[in-house]
Amino acid sequence: MIKKSVYKIPEGKLVKIELETVDNEIKKIKITGDFFLYPEEIISKLEKSLESCKISKEVLIKHLDNFWKNHQVDCFGINSSGLTEAILTAKEI
Amino acid sequence: MKIRLLTTGFKSAYENMAIDEAVLIHAQKNYQSTLRFYGWKPAAISIGYFQSLKEEVDMNECQKQQVDYIRRVTGGGAVFHEAEVTYSLISPVDGQFIPQDIISSYKKICQGIIEGLKILGIESQFVPLNDIIASGKKISGNAQTRKKNVLLQHGTILLDVNVEKMFSLLKVPQEKLRDKLIKDVKQRVVGVKNLLLSKQINFETCQEALVKGFEKALMLEYDKTSLTASELAMAQELKDKKYSLPEWNLMR
Repeated sequence: MIKKSVYKIPEGKLVKIELETVDNEIKKIKITGDFFLYPEEIISKLEKSLESCKISKEVLIKHLDNFWKNHQVDCFGINSSGLTEAILTAKEI
Repeated sequence: MKIRLLTTGFKSAYENMAIDEAVLIHAQKNYQSTLRFYGWKPAAISIGYFQSLKEEVDMNECQKQQVDYIRRVTGGGAVFHEAEVTYSLISPVDGQFIPQDIISSYKKICQGIIEGLKILGIESQFVPLNDIIASGKKISGNAQTRKKNVLLQHGTILLDVNVEKMFSLLKVPQEKLRDKLIKDVKQRVVGVKNLLLSKQINFETCQEALVKGFEKALMLEYDKTSLTASELAMAQELKDKKYSLPEWNLMR
């Protein structure tokens, strides 16, 4: 079953999540929205990197913080806490 | 700062986005800076790189109303291109003309629009990250990407606003909210014509003011020319093999 969410990041842009989960882990995720990431093509790698990630606030924020840093990503209108909140919201629907 | 000035008139969404990318790719080799102004015919919806076409755009309704739809290489939101002047600025990120810092580069390039609007008699302000407002309402939206150290920033300067038509082409999360969304957007967005009711403003007069505005604000020296044969050939290929195809437009 695909779970969805639409989440407006405070002071940021709109993020839409499509999520498949197994045992409280992400199986597959699609992140869309009107935010900006540089470089843009990194989005596929980001989605792939989240597969098997545990759906917990602490784990997700840490994962995303490391991802931006390791891949030298610049984010505008989106950040680790906002994206995490969007993912957690999708889980709850 | 010497820059090539292109005014390519009205073209389809596929041609327009293909030209922007072809100029960008050429600038990666020849380090040339280009400022281009253009319009859209037929009208089109463009979506941001990260958006889902299926989620954002009612493709059946677009076909019915003969409106094209296309994915941009830049992030940001869905834009309805009909009554507007669009620009693109392509230039190497040299740390001088184009600042390394993304917000600073948005701000600098947007000064050209602000100056252009001033020539028309409209006071406006830059609002980070990527908007320009006049009389408290959005009059211009902008988006940029950087590829191999070359920046492409494109954006719209609204001439007129047709919120009803725009929302008839976009999907809304809940149908019952459609009227409220239309009302909200009407209060938040404005076009040049709406602010200058007594003046005769059209695409050409607005473009002319923007050409002068960019020249003054960014201290440009124009080389008025046209696309090269190599750029045109690449644009044709990008149009046929990328921008007009579902593989690209339905990618996300």
